[in-house]
Amino acid sequence: MTEILRVAGLNKAFGGVTVARDIDFALEAGAMHCLIGPNGAGKSSFFRLLLGEHAPDSGTITFRGEDITRLRPFQRIRRGMSVKFQVPGIFKALSVRQNLEVAFQNHLHGADLAATVERVLDFASLGDEAGTPAGVLSHGQQQWLEIGMAVGVEPQLLLLDEPTAGMSPDETRRTGEMLHALNARGITILAVEHDMAFVEQIAKRVTVLHFGAIFAEGSIAEMIAHEGVQRIYLGAADE
Amino acid sequence: MELAATLFSTAYQFGDAFAFLVISCAGLAVIFGMMGVINLAHGEFIMCGAYVTAATARAGLPLPLAILCGALVAGLVGMALERAVIRHLYHRPLDSIIATWGVSLIATQGVLIVLGSTMQGVGTPLGGVAVGDRSYSLYRLVLMGAAVALLAGLYWLFYRTRFGVVARATIERPQMARALGVDTRRVYGLTFGLGAALAGLAGGLYAPTMTMVPTMGATFMVESFVTVVVGGADIFVGAAPAAAILAAIRAGLTAWYGQLFGQIGLLVAVIVVIRILPGGLSAFIKRARR
Amino acid sequence: MNDARTFAPEAAPRDRRSGLAVWLRRLEGPQTMGRGSLFWLAAGLALLAAAAYPQFSDDYTVGNAAYFLVWTFMAMGLGVVWGYGGALSFGQTAFFGLAGYAYGVLTINVGAAYGFTWLALILSVALGGAFALLIGYFMFFGRIRGVFIGIVTLSVTLVLETFMAQTAGPQWRIGEARLNGFNGMSGMPPLTLPWPGGDLVLYPGAQLYYALLAMVALCYLGLRMLLNAPFGNVLVAIRENPERAEMLGYDVRVYQMLAFGLGGALAGLSGALYTAWGQYITPSSMGLTSAALPIVWVAVGGRRDITATLLGTLLVLTAFQQLTIYGSQYALVAMGALLLFTVLLAPDGVVYTAMERLGRLGRPGRRAGR
Repeated sequence: MTEILRVAGLNKAFGGVTVARDIDFALEAGAMHCLIGPNGAGKSSFFRLLLGEHAPDSGTITFRGEDITRLRPFQRIRRGMSVKFQVPGIFKALSVRQNLEVAFQNHLHGADLAATVERVLDFASLGDEAGTPAGVLSHGQQQWLEIGMAVGVEPQLLLLDEPTAGMSPDETRRTGEMLHALNARGITILAVEHDMAFVEQIAKRVTVLHFGAIFAEGSIAEMIAHEGVQRIYLGAADE
Repeated sequence: MELAATLFSTAYQFGDAFAFLVISCAGLAVIFGMMGVINLAHGEFIMCGAYVTAATARAGLPLPLAILCGALVAGLVGMALERAVIRHLYHRPLDSIIATWGVSLIATQGVLIVLGSTMQGVGTPLGGVAVGDRSYSLYRLVLMGAAVALLAGLYWLFYRTRFGVVARATIERPQMARALGVDTRRVYGLTFGLGAALAGLAGGLYAPTMTMVPTMGATFMVESFVTVVVGGADIFVGAAPAAAILAAIRAGLTAWYGQLFGQIGLLVAVIVVIRILPGGLSAFIKRARR
Repeated sequence: MNDARTFAPEAAPRDRRSGLAVWLRRLEGPQTMGRGSLFWLAAGLALLAAAAYPQFSDDYTVGNAAYFLVWTFMAMGLGVVWGYGGALSFGQTAFFGLAGYAYGVLTINVGAAYGFTWLALILSVALGGAFALLIGYFMFFGRIRGVFIGIVTLSVTLVLETFMAQTAGPQWRIGEARLNGFNGMSGMPPLTLPWPGGDLVLYPGAQLYYALLAMVALCYLGLRMLLNAPFGNVLVAIRENPERAEMLGYDVRVYQMLAFGLGGALAGLSGALYTAWGQYITPSSMGLTSAALPIVWVAVGGRRDITATLLGTLLVLTAFQQLTIYGSQYALVAMGALLLFTVLLAPDGVVYTAMERLGRLGRPGRRAGR
């Protein structure tokens, strides 16, 4: 298997707070990988570094063989990255269909665009809501709409920041199925997730972040059995 | 002797520009830095302060007291405005700018209708002092002192008094301050009033040096905006050094090329600064401190 | 752009419909209110009424109406920048004044023969647009946001005013054209059409009115198409959520800069037409009071929709023309009050709110314009 993403020696500090400490991380193409860790472990900051919203103090990010450390966010998206934010980042005033059109019209036009929008509507189970303003969708549907927007740009790598936050158990299960379907179509998936049941449903391998550094990495079973991981989660719970 | 006179002349030019920038931007900077509201009626509060100062001084009040009167009246008008209009627009910053612009139009034209196109001013007091073969206005030297005193006073108010601590806490974490029993609406009202009073003070201080016309506030607009933009949100770390830098640019260009180039120099400085230092000087200085 | 396509059709036939048909369909769309035969019938009737108007009025009044039309371009440009792009510019008058002076300098030096006035108009608009692109580059690539855009643009227009106001001396001339300081520049030729059997000079009156009416209609329709095109959709997306737009692969800065340039070019069109209309331009056209006017029109009309902006501008201009009879100071006080009350009571704009209500009446249970 080929490597899609490699992060080497990544460091970032805001004032006195270190959010990334010597992170070395690699992802195989086609993987489904989860990032876990207690609150404040630096998971979201790591995503922002990958996406180019923050510039690292040192270190490099290589994506599909190209050094993207200095690229701006939109340039990384055009090279095949995509993201679904934790808080649904949809355009609330636009209808569901318009949201998808805006998302895809950078690379698709005319009949191609219309056909793609229909397929994504179908995929995200939003066919009946196409004309509804996105702001009035249920929370779960908003999350799915944003996943639809994120995959419509035809990414190689999809970053998901807590995709199931605030979802009902049924919605969570369907989201997991959605991600498996995307992975089966060849999209590599990297997700930050709190819900361990969901992590078990989607991920083969897990990386644990703690205080901005990689604490442990392995299969989900190994991590649950890992004494240190248990300790930092319990320690976080004590606070 | 020749050299000393030239040096004094340059220092005087710089001090004059610095005083003007600090005094005219203080009110704008307090309201923007503390509340995130750009007050486009800033110039009209200055005009209000100047008019009240001139009127009370001509009625026989000593000038320093008249200036305080001007500041006080402007502050009260500011608090009334905050209660009537600004309070409803805190969650819509762009709309609050537009509303203050409406207020500015009403104030300028209203004064024009009621009081006519000019008003008799007060002469510049204190006379002049000769250095070398040129004469310098003593009152302008007093204004330089006033600018420094103003900065010191604001520092004391925001960092050493109870009001200052409460105000800064409110600005940083409004919900937290409310939970701790702070009447945040009162704090906003007082802060806006303070900003308006500072504008009135600027008007009062410069009243003896200017012609009294309803549009006089506009002469302060560009300079005070430019200082706030270059300085960023924090008046102490940002606006004061920004005023110093801009004063140096303006004094230099004015001395060599005249008034206009001084102003164009300010504008170019702004555009360059915002290109290389987003967030203004204060963000840059705070970053460097870490 | 990628080797594997997940959702897009692998080798779908390219859209073969002609470019014109695609653009014409964009006359209606998500970013503009009004659709269907009823709307276009009303629009057509309005245009007919406007075209018939000079037959029932005298030349002076028609010249006045032409004056109103002159301003609508700047208003629509501000509508694009502020309402659609979300960047509140206080300094559209900078581009207005610059293009106005440019038209004067060009035509005074070259004259009106061979239809040069129209070339001068185009060059002035291009200058206004280019200056706006430059300012826009510094602002948006310098990551200036929100209220700071207002301050920077306002400072630019006020400094330009100061600059032009001190060009009184004879040394301030460009070729034949004296800038003339505070009193402004005058004596440039009006727009002139080369015509067999003698040039057609468009003085304020019916002929100029028709030329302007045609330009307003074309500009309005063109903007409708642009706003419903991908460019307009992305602009609105950026206004709603800039981070998400960037994360869909759009260079937010470029879109905002282009929108600002377009707004500047339209303000420039108003400026050059204004100079041609009255054959004068003064520095106060870039001053604080002038700068407030476009904000009043667009805020009162409604910035979120180009139709509301256009109607609102014409409405406010007409209303204040009536008020000015009683003295321009009173008109400005009323204008300030109108601005204040719009912001407090009808933040979406008076015309916009009315149009939305009307749209709901027409189609119960659905949101207007969608």
